[in-house]
Amino acid sequence: MLELDAITMRFGGLTALHAMSLSVAEGETLGLVGPNGAGKTTLFNVISGVYAPSGGTIRFGGQDVGALPQWKRARVGIGRTFQIPQPMRELTVRENLRVAQRFGAGKEDPAALDEILDLLGLAHKQHADAATSLALTEQKALEVGKALAVRPRLLMLDEVLGGLEMATKRTFARTLETVRARFGLTMVIIEHDIETIKALCPRVVVLNFGQLIADGTPEAVFNDPQVIRSYTGDTPA
Amino acid sequence: MLELILQALYSGLLAGGYYAMIALGLALVFGTMRIINLAHGELVLLAAYVAFEMERSFGWTPLASIPVALVVVGLTALVIYLLIGRIRQDRELNSLILTFGIAIVLTNLILMIWSADIRSTSNSWFMDGVVLGDTLFSMRGEVIFCVIGVLLLAATYWWLNHTWQGRALRAVASNRDAAKLMGVNPARIEALSFLVSGVLATFAGVAVYTASVVFPAVGHNLTIKAFVITVLAGMGSVPGVLLGAVLIGVGETLTTTLAKPSLQELTGMVIFLLILFLRPSGLFGRKGMVKK
Repeated sequence: MLELDAITMRFGGLTALHAMSLSVAEGETLGLVGPNGAGKTTLFNVISGVYAPSGGTIRFGGQDVGALPQWKRARVGIGRTFQIPQPMRELTVRENLRVAQRFGAGKEDPAALDEILDLLGLAHKQHADAATSLALTEQKALEVGKALAVRPRLLMLDEVLGGLEMATKRTFARTLETVRARFGLTMVIIEHDIETIKALCPRVVVLNFGQLIADGTPEAVFNDPQVIRSYTGDTPA
Repeated sequence: MLELILQALYSGLLAGGYYAMIALGLALVFGTMRIINLAHGELVLLAAYVAFEMERSFGWTPLASIPVALVVVGLTALVIYLLIGRIRQDRELNSLILTFGIAIVLTNLILMIWSADIRSTSNSWFMDGVVLGDTLFSMRGEVIFCVIGVLLLAATYWWLNHTWQGRALRAVASNRDAAKLMGVNPARIEALSFLVSGVLATFAGVAVYTASVVFPAVGHNLTIKAFVITVLAGMGSVPGVLLGAVLIGVGETLTTTLAKPSLQELTGMVIFLLILFLRPSGLFGRKGMVKK
């Protein structure tokens, strides 16, 4: 479904992604991990169109989407969340989802919105002000809800569980699994909590200094000496 | 004395109606693009001069000239938007310089085409007196454009809250990056906000031409007035714009009645500073958004 070929991203003299190639199959749930500054969010930004890569190609569903602006990538089915929730602060919770559905999915479907709100536990807050009425978990749920309302085929979650208490994190992770199964999504998840990654992702990719250093099952990846070194501070050879 | 004060309040209320029309266009553009269009007053002025030209050349009433003014001002607003779209860095700051330059160009174009003479409608129907309750006097043009102003504000409020373009505009105003990831094309929404701003400027310009006088240098004053009301309102708030406009209108007319006409402009500034001192984000302000 998603094929990245030799993606490079430079910011002046800093190369954040080094000729990275990666494929994600339809229906797959991929965990994207790595130390801070490894390039995980940069990769999301490149795929979703926030950044234009310095080199390489991005194919989604067989189509080269590298030249599409962000809003068109949303319309072809690439949904994402931000690490820090980005609600439309002047709209209610439901209006946030309605705008995403109308412009991203191209049509209104109130029943689908009701289902998303129910799944994410936001139904009772749907008419609340998105700026002031939501607790952190609800803000994170709204972030996922906006991305779902676009009717994505690929959903990229950037530390959507970050900052949550362990019990809440577990519940939220189960919700994500339900959402994935219900909407038949392909998911890429950035997450620091290894247990959560193991629970959600049959395949894990590790980035370090903008390079892909491991790709495999959680067991194989988290026992890989190079991955362990990347977390303990060694620079790559 | 009481009659004079009531008359001042009434005149201020009427002035507030068309002040609101002048300010709302600026507020919309600021809300969506974080851009202060310093040529907004000149757009208002351009509409006024189109009304003047239609009246002089074809004998049209100011109201009949509105469709022509809509085309001229709407296209000019879109050209300004396209020029702003060419800015690649520091759009908020550089657009100030750009729109200030456009304002100078427009002022001088108006000066070249229509000279520096003071213009006002020669249509006496708009200047006929309307007496309310035996004591409150106004010109018919003032009443008509106050009503049009309030209706336009109500229509804009409805449009922002009950149409897809309006919701998208509020979404872009709230969070441009997140709106893009929701499939909203911000360029189209921003162009739309400029177009709506041009529509509001058109009605405001025809109102100014009908109820007051215009000359090329007045555009600058109109921009300042619009900016003061916009900030007073809480950048981008529609009800705030109406309340701010009425406050300024009433403040000015009370000053003219109770003190000196020469202090009129100063009063607006004092109200502005006072409210900003007490409520730095404006009457309805949170953080500079287009709000319900």
